[in-house]
Amino acid sequence: MTTTAYSRALVTTLLVTLAAIALPVSAHHSFANFDDTKQVTLKGTVSEFQWTNPHAWLEVEVASTDGTTEKWSVEMLSPNVLGRMGWKRNSLKPGDEVTVVIHPLRTGAKGGNMVSIQDKNGVPIGGPQQ
Amino acid sequence: MKGWPVTVLALTLAAAGPAAAQFPAPPPEQLKGTPVTPARLPDGRPNWTGFWVTPNGLLEVYRGPSGVSGQAPGANTRSTRRQDIPPLKSPYEERYAEALRRSAAGEIPDLVAACFPPGMPRMMVMVYGMEILQTPKIISITSEWQAATRRIWMDVKEHPPADELDPTYMGDSIGHWEGDTLVVDTVGIRDDVPLDFGQVPHSPKLTIKERFTEISPGVLVDEITIDDPDVFKEPWKYKMVYLYRPGLRLKEYVCLENNRNVDANGQAVFK
Repeated sequence: MTTTAYSRALVTTLLVTLAAIALPVSAHHSFANFDDTKQVTLKGTVSEFQWTNPHAWLEVEVASTDGTTEKWSVEMLSPNVLGRMGWKRNSLKPGDEVTVVIHPLRTGAKGGNMVSIQDKNGVPIGGPQQ
Repeated sequence: MKGWPVTVLALTLAAAGPAAAQFPAPPPEQLKGTPVTPARLPDGRPNWTGFWVTPNGLLEVYRGPSGVSGQAPGANTRSTRRQDIPPLKSPYEERYAEALRRSAAGEIPDLVAACFPPGMPRMMVMVYGMEILQTPKIISITSEWQAATRRIWMDVKEHPPADELDPTYMGDSIGHWEGDTLVVDTVGIRDDVPLDFGQVPHSPKLTIKERFTEISPGVLVDEITIDDPDVFKEPWKYKMVYLYRPGLRLKEYVCLENNRNVDANGQAVFK
């Protein structure tokens, strides 16, 4: 998919057959609340990056086709793991335009577990994305 | 026992049976970069002071000595149930089945998800890593996971009487050296501390025996024997492997800082 295809807010759900690209589950809690057979791609703007334990969180605002804005919460690993992968507390800042792939919550609520993240130029953010 | 070849490690781990499958032996290329631990202490004991990781823990998975990142098969994320648990006796078998059912239904959270310490022996799983500090009287092990610290008293020969001992998450650990092997005995673990993810129960008769040996330079093995004659039909034995990683330092991990997963009542929040 090209960046142009994302020119408007775009939420794409993809069924994936391979879970090999998924980030691992957490040491802190079960990740059964996420559907790791699905991926949702969010293109939006960072509103907050919580560099905290037991998990880092990305709050991202995604514009809907009807002009409203949806707020999505994306759970990440813990800073002690992310930091050793190359992430820093300032790897993301409010206002950054990002494309985030997540495993969505099974409930359908606007949230998920981060699989990968890229900046507006398609460059992976933070550390290695496997 | 320093100088044992890596093949000995592989054979040692293979002998661990189901536990070896749970905690697979590190591949030789992972051991290649393992630094040598510091010189022995003035009293002649091995010096394990420093930072250690598990071969398939999250830190090593992402930051191997080769610099290769990615999730290794069987990554030690430990939020799944162990498969090597011995058969349980009644009524603990029934209680365990009920706990598993309630856990799967989300009715009871894992202690760790609610930010309690993992306790013993689960703390030694070390999903992130651990810092060992050695003094003549105390050997301190801090898990980066939940910032849990256990202290092994080296100057104490016996546990306090059972009816006087305060039950704790880490229990009361006393240790001594047998040659270059550190032998540790732990009792006094709180009733509500499960022995693993999946709510494995225990009784007041629980004892945990450990034998720490550096089987090759920078490779420490903890042979763990969990004995609880009221709960298990046979002792539960497994081995943990730790690799010395002096380039890493313990990071702070305060779970209550921003736990958006489980509320104070133990209910899932982010769902």
